[in-house]
Amino acid sequence: MLKGVTRLVSRVHKLDPGHFLRLGTQAPQSLAAHLDNQVSFESPRAISCTSENDPAKHEEKHEGQHYNLPLQDMKTIFPHGLPPRYAMQMKTFNEACLMVRKPALELLHYLKNTNFAHPAVRYVLYGEKGTGKTLSLCHIIHFCAKQDWLILHIPDAHLWVKDCRDLLQSSYNKQRFDQPLEASVWLKNFKTTNERFLNQIKIQEKYVWNKRESIEKGSSLGEVVEQGITRVRNATDAVGIVLKELKRQSSLGIFHLLVAVDGVNALWGRTTLKREDKSPIAAEELALIHNLRKMVKNDWNGGAIVMTLSQTGSLFKPRKAYLPQELLGKEGFDALDPFIPILVGNYNPKEFESCIQYYLENSWLQHEKAHTEEGKKELLFLSNGNPGQLERLCAYL
Amino acid sequence: MMMKGGNKVLARSLMTQTLEAVKRKQFKKFHAASSEEQATIERNPYTIFHQALKNCEPVIGLAPILKGGRFYQVPVPLSDRRRRFLAMKWMITECREKKHRRTLMPEKLSQELLQAFHNQGPVVKRKHDMHKMAEANRALAHYRWW
Repeated sequence: MLKGVTRLVSRVHKLDPGHFLRLGTQAPQSLAAHLDNQVSFESPRAISCTSENDPAKHEEKHEGQHYNLPLQDMKTIFPHGLPPRYAMQMKTFNEACLMVRKPALELLHYLKNTNFAHPAVRYVLYGEKGTGKTLSLCHIIHFCAKQDWLILHIPDAHLWVKDCRDLLQSSYNKQRFDQPLEASVWLKNFKTTNERFLNQIKIQEKYVWNKRESIEKGSSLGEVVEQGITRVRNATDAVGIVLKELKRQSSLGIFHLLVAVDGVNALWGRTTLKREDKSPIAAEELALIHNLRKMVKNDWNGGAIVMTLSQTGSLFKPRKAYLPQELLGKEGFDALDPFIPILVGNYNPKEFESCIQYYLENSWLQHEKAHTEEGKKELLFLSNGNPGQLERLCAYL
Repeated sequence: MMMKGGNKVLARSLMTQTLEAVKRKQFKKFHAASSEEQATIERNPYTIFHQALKNCEPVIGLAPILKGGRFYQVPVPLSDRRRRFLAMKWMITECREKKHRRTLMPEKLSQELLQAFHNQGPVVKRKHDMHKMAEANRALAHYRWW
């Protein structure tokens, strides 16, 4: 009889904690609850939020804590580029809070110690779906905005290679195609982010738009951007000029340039766009993509390039692919070759606890069971610590 | 009743999106209200859902009874499960048929649930119409034999 009981006990201990909730055995749960009670005696606010709102001062001790971003800054720094669910959350809570996590801290450390005389270093944030790559990128952009860098943020490169209504043949180069709508929208957002730099930077070459209009050497970058916004036909060329000038002038040292691209695997993938005779267009034949590829090459100095891989918007790539080699392909990997990869993973227990506390404070988790320990264990099991999944779960609880 | 063709995944996701929409609307109202009203605003989507359906349940129903070659609508007591079924059915048909074609189901349903929670809106009106018909046909109650 005793042998049977011991075998049962050892089998029960082999099952992982998630299963206990389903079986409903009493003894192990009460033990876990007792241990957890001792930890949660600290005030919840101490675990989940920090008052340090300047990203430059974030360190390891702030890991797992949320910091507040002022809403006014959000409108200027992020007119585009926030994930849609995060934007909804921001609207619901009337505040923008971002969690400080290890990959972002690592990147901040590298950025603080960049040597601007060396060629720009490329950092690639990669990870599985929903782990927080785009929000880490936003954290970095906020830091650079506070440090007064010029931010070149492409919110999602995948939007430029699919679903384009009007493709014009480029006037500059007959082989390439223009995308007036996407380019003008991007220019508008670029203007909102970098207002103050646009008047300071002067272009160093003369550009001719067409027979009647041209832009002289020495006029400000703001005029190029205006021309692109008002004359939508020339918007793509305006983007090309902006990129070329910024690349040339960042080496001079007047400003630091941050190139932040989300979904960089779109630059080397396939497109879904077709010509009028239904033949597919390769990525190089789009002028926007061509210019962006030149930007991402590390032959300039005075700044940094931070990129994110994304499977979510990618075309013709399997759902489970998240490694740089799989998503970029051979061509992309070779083009980006010396880069620093940074893995963004799921929440560790401390970050998970902090996230749950944050939701509880904002009374986002309305279900009665969400406050209990069993509820938290269920959420951990269902989401596997994946931030995206956890957010979707908590949305309807 | 939400499910069509056995697509439970879709039905489940529609329901979760509805609960989320209800929650977001209530939060928006909560933040806009003064502190006295904040205590009265309910933010738990599950309580809103259950209360709204309870408000839509009719107390008495009509049954067609054949007598002397004619069908008469006779007021008849309804069982618990029939009442719940009718509340859910009216809610879903209201959203599917009477709304604009291009609005999505979670949006329509969340609006209807919030209206029913406050005892307003078309579904509660239909319940009242049913009660009035039953009251009008009160004289035919003798035709019922169970």
